[in-house]
Amino acid sequence: MIDQETEIYALSESSVTVVFGDEISSLMAEKVSALNSAIHNAPFHGLITTVPAYATLTVYYAPEEVFYSGLTGESAYQKVSGYLSALPVSKLSKEKSTTLITIPVCYGGTHGPDLELVARHCMLTTDEVIKLHASAAYRVYMIGFIPGFAYMGGMDTRLSTPRKEHPRTKVNAGSVGIAGNQTGIYPLDIPGGWQIIGQTPIQLFNAGRPEPSFLKAGDTVRFKPIAIDEFQSQTY
Amino acid sequence: MQIKILRAGLHTSIQDLGRHKFLSQAVPVSGAMDPLSARIANLAIGNGDTDALIEFTYGNAAFKCETDVLLAYAGGGCNLVALGSILPSRRAIFVPAGTVVELVNNEHGVRTYLSVAGGWDVENVLGSRSTYLPAGFGGHHGRLLKKDDLLSSCSAMNPSTSSLLHKLRCDLLRHSTWGIPQTFLRPENAKTVRIFAGREITWFQGRSVIDLLAEPFTIDLRSNRMGILLKGQQMERAVTKELLSTAVCPGTVQVTGDGEMILLMADCQTTGGYPRIAQVASVDIPLCAQLKPMEEISFSLIDHNEAEHLFYQQEAELKKLSQSIRIKL
Repeated sequence: MIDQETEIYALSESSVTVVFGDEISSLMAEKVSALNSAIHNAPFHGLITTVPAYATLTVYYAPEEVFYSGLTGESAYQKVSGYLSALPVSKLSKEKSTTLITIPVCYGGTHGPDLELVARHCMLTTDEVIKLHASAAYRVYMIGFIPGFAYMGGMDTRLSTPRKEHPRTKVNAGSVGIAGNQTGIYPLDIPGGWQIIGQTPIQLFNAGRPEPSFLKAGDTVRFKPIAIDEFQSQTY
Repeated sequence: MQIKILRAGLHTSIQDLGRHKFLSQAVPVSGAMDPLSARIANLAIGNGDTDALIEFTYGNAAFKCETDVLLAYAGGGCNLVALGSILPSRRAIFVPAGTVVELVNNEHGVRTYLSVAGGWDVENVLGSRSTYLPAGFGGHHGRLLKKDDLLSSCSAMNPSTSSLLHKLRCDLLRHSTWGIPQTFLRPENAKTVRIFAGREITWFQGRSVIDLLAEPFTIDLRSNRMGILLKGQQMERAVTKELLSTAVCPGTVQVTGDGEMILLMADCQTTGGYPRIAQVASVDIPLCAQLKPMEEISFSLIDHNEAEHLFYQQEAELKKLSQSIRIKL
């Protein structure tokens, strides 16, 4: 069951959002993830999809289908809210059920044109930047902004570097960047202002796959440095 | 059935009612900006609700029918003209092979939807045929239509569409004697958009909320399929805290750092971090999709329950319409 301080509001006629809090933390992420699993384990008639975010879970549905379902309430909104409030959510387990994903990254050179700039800014050597970046475990909090873009947490704050003053008109898909305290991977070729320290040969987004986004909310990511010839070998 | 694009127009793409299953992977809904006109263009020839259409932005476009074609159009911004006469909208039209159809600008609205018997045949990507340009997938090779593109209809056709084709087929341009009335497309006061309160409405000054409901707002030129930028009184914050990124959807009205409002539309991002002052009733989104730059609108407040009720009302009217069309066929 959802606890008392949890808020539910109508985002539109066909969606409601459950708000657990307003902070980025693993506790919030686990609450979001537990409710998400509970919904998909016992879906209601008319459910379309769910969108996990940092501290919220949004549930999309077809109102006309919900309206004629067996749920109680006078509107689709009331019916879905009632369902969500009564849904048994398993207690947060100590062993996190997370998928560990290793992402190979070719750091520096043409694949990471800002690696030296980041090293200078952080007063580290480029090797130290790579080591710090590749030694942490990152949690994927949500996918948003553009298809397949993962909002991740867990970067060592010693790597914090502000965005570029003048964004590049094109950043290549797969580029791994740093902006402030965040690190992320560009899933598509788009303009962008992150400091690019490397690139992965993995396709983060491909509309031709049944699951187009390589990463999902709840995943744990580690980066593995690879040499340029491995990047070019097309093993991925 | 097949057509060839002779002139593509300003922004022409294949759309349907959108891609709803991959929002959690940040794949936008996309789909027709004005889903009501799209559904009416499909209904008029007995197509299914989710068949793919061509979305034109204003006119200044033309296509040639390479074969006999059964089509219909609905929306705004242009009229279809063939052999010197305006083709009636919201009606099934039989166009013989070889005919050139021009899309001529008109003063009302922005987007026109062109249906074809059986729907336009493009690949279904992630559950929809809609084009999503920023990532280059869906629709016709993930891009806008251009000169010399050939578009074909799906070979399978509903029984009602086949019977309509059978009735209208001849050597001449011919349309059905019945059509769908204009009243289906526009509420009485087409310049008032109904909204309900957004979750962060209390983050704004009381006088800004009054301005929102009392002042007119102008559609800015920088509007597109992602969102409509509204110029007018600025929405001033009473609470300055930051919103953690969370889901947003078409119809969401967010307020940027400088107090401007953006009404999110079909291609909007799936999550956002700007506070949301309002949500446009889904039945009024079609009206917003037809607003031209420099046009003025005002907002009126309803509650979420009423918005949901209006949605059912519209669905019921569409259902009745679809049943009455099936009887006619």
